[in-house]
Amino acid sequence: MQKQSWMKLKDLTPAASNSINATVILVEKGSTIEEGKEKTKKCVALVADETACVNFQMWGAECEAFHPGDIIRISKGIFSRHKNKLLLRAGKRGSVEKVGEFTMLFVESPNMSEMRYVPDTNLPSKLVPESQLTKP
Amino acid sequence: MTVPTNPLLHYNPYEAKHQLDLSLTKAYLLLHSQLKPPFPLTIPSSSEYALLTQALAFSLLTQPDLTKINLKHLHASVTDGYDIFTTTLLNLTDNCYPKLLPVPRTQLLFLCSQLIDVAAFKVDSLVISLLRRINGGDFTEPNLWLCAELAKILSDNWDWLVDEPLVLTSALFVFLRLLADHYRLVSGPQLDELKRLEISFCIRVLRNCFHLCLGIGRDLIRLLQDLFVIPEFKELWKDLICDPCKFGVLGFSDLCDIYRIKTPRHYFLLRISQEMEAQLRFLLTHVKWGNQQRYQVWFAKKYLSLPGSETVIVDVIRFICQCYHPSKEIIQSGVISRWAVIGWLLKSCKRNYFEANAKLALFYDWLFFNDTIDSIMDIEPAMLLIVSSVPQYMEITHCLLEFLFLVVDNYDVQRKNVIAKGVLGAFNALVKRGVVHSLEVLMNCDKLSPFLREKLSKFLFDKALVSQEKEIIQMQSGDHQDQIAGMPEQAHQWL
Repeated sequence: MQKQSWMKLKDLTPAASNSINATVILVEKGSTIEEGKEKTKKCVALVADETACVNFQMWGAECEAFHPGDIIRISKGIFSRHKNKLLLRAGKRGSVEKVGEFTMLFVESPNMSEMRYVPDTNLPSKLVPESQLTKP
Repeated sequence: MTVPTNPLLHYNPYEAKHQLDLSLTKAYLLLHSQLKPPFPLTIPSSSEYALLTQALAFSLLTQPDLTKINLKHLHASVTDGYDIFTTTLLNLTDNCYPKLLPVPRTQLLFLCSQLIDVAAFKVDSLVISLLRRINGGDFTEPNLWLCAELAKILSDNWDWLVDEPLVLTSALFVFLRLLADHYRLVSGPQLDELKRLEISFCIRVLRNCFHLCLGIGRDLIRLLQDLFVIPEFKELWKDLICDPCKFGVLGFSDLCDIYRIKTPRHYFLLRISQEMEAQLRFLLTHVKWGNQQRYQVWFAKKYLSLPGSETVIVDVIRFICQCYHPSKEIIQSGVISRWAVIGWLLKSCKRNYFEANAKLALFYDWLFFNDTIDSIMDIEPAMLLIVSSVPQYMEITHCLLEFLFLVVDNYDVQRKNVIAKGVLGAFNALVKRGVVHSLEVLMNCDKLSPFLREKLSKFLFDKALVSQEKEIIQMQSGDHQDQIAGMPEQAHQWL
């Protein structure tokens, strides 16, 4: 079994792969909306760790399962653009579960969903936050 | 082939399985075939024994039909005085009790009484952990059930209990505190039965083991006061005041003998749950000034949102004053101060009755303050809340000072001198140790009402009190350990 590497939110960069493993705390939860013919439930929450925060997309039953103060472990999640919004989500191949409550420090900025990402100077195939752009 | 197991814990969707649940289930799955007779006659190795005990624990908790055979197996195989078994139940109680399903919960209480029967190692700790699981301000059926079960178990095991002073006095502390809330509730057959159990248990302990009850110290009086309306307690109070010899305890001839005894800190853990304790310690150890708002909202939502649940604020304040004394490093690291958290808690009281009791909880250690046995850290939060509220939140300063003087005059009119002395001693110590530079911050505060300024002045300079104290009030602090130095600008924005 492949060993999972846990990351901090400040190191999030948008990618198509589901490789995000992080433990976060749910800071604030938006309202649940029902979309489309099947009335799929969707909800966006602000989650954070002690390095950064990010907008987390919940889908279906996830929307009712998590509440502010919950400590959540995201495995094999995806951080990518969806309808022009950068969102972290569990995705089809990832999972999300509640592992605790309250006892975690967090920050409410920077929000990785609001970052501008640009190609890395030295490795153009990789995206980095504009603020972290290295000189060639 | 999968072995069917009954669940131990309740999980909500998307909730991770608890480590303890996983290890107990694993042990059971490994050894379940060995839990049926014939049992091996060989003595297991220590790791085998540990595994067997865990498997038995899982089965006993989740398979009540097999209780008889499992108990036989447990008693036959025990080699450590039930240490591992009791410790397993203790860990379950401390870490998972709220998630236990009804059947395992019932079995847990049953097993507790079984362990008392065999005087198992650590069963005293198990009982105390279970007592902590009776949530204050929670009048739901499962919580009241736990309360009644524990009252019954302890009443039924009286002979064991009287040989366990810590359990006895802890149970008394818990049931006295709960009675104050239960007595005010609307009647019903289940509740009436519970109240009867609680009253009968408490009175039995007080009347028969008063010498042990004295060990609780001054907070015993605080608890008994709320029960004056109960006829049996009214009788007890009559004897405490008018006929103390009736209790037959050498060293007890007056309430002052109890006031003099500081309540050991571990009693204050009894009325806050294990999770609440962890959250409060986290808040006061790690969360910096300015970041506390979210945590306070979450705490309030979880513990203070149901009607009547604010009663637990009293117990939280006693815990903060007595059980959490931050180190100098923590104080200087910019972590939210105790006084700010207490200020928020006081503001969370919706009804006057709870607010008054909460203020009493905050000032209780002032009333009988004795520099030689009491800690400055017990009284520091109240003082800092008073002075830090100047000048932006004068209503808090007023409210607290008014209350303090009201309590000095009225708490125990017959022993008013003792209380005045205690409070004066508290003020002195706070200045002497540099918690505040001097009391001039209040005495010369033009935002403070003239009435209170005069009252404070009169109180501090009362010649009769001063000569009794044999101390001159120092208006300037000798050592400059100013604990409010370096407090950030936004210190007052705890609201």
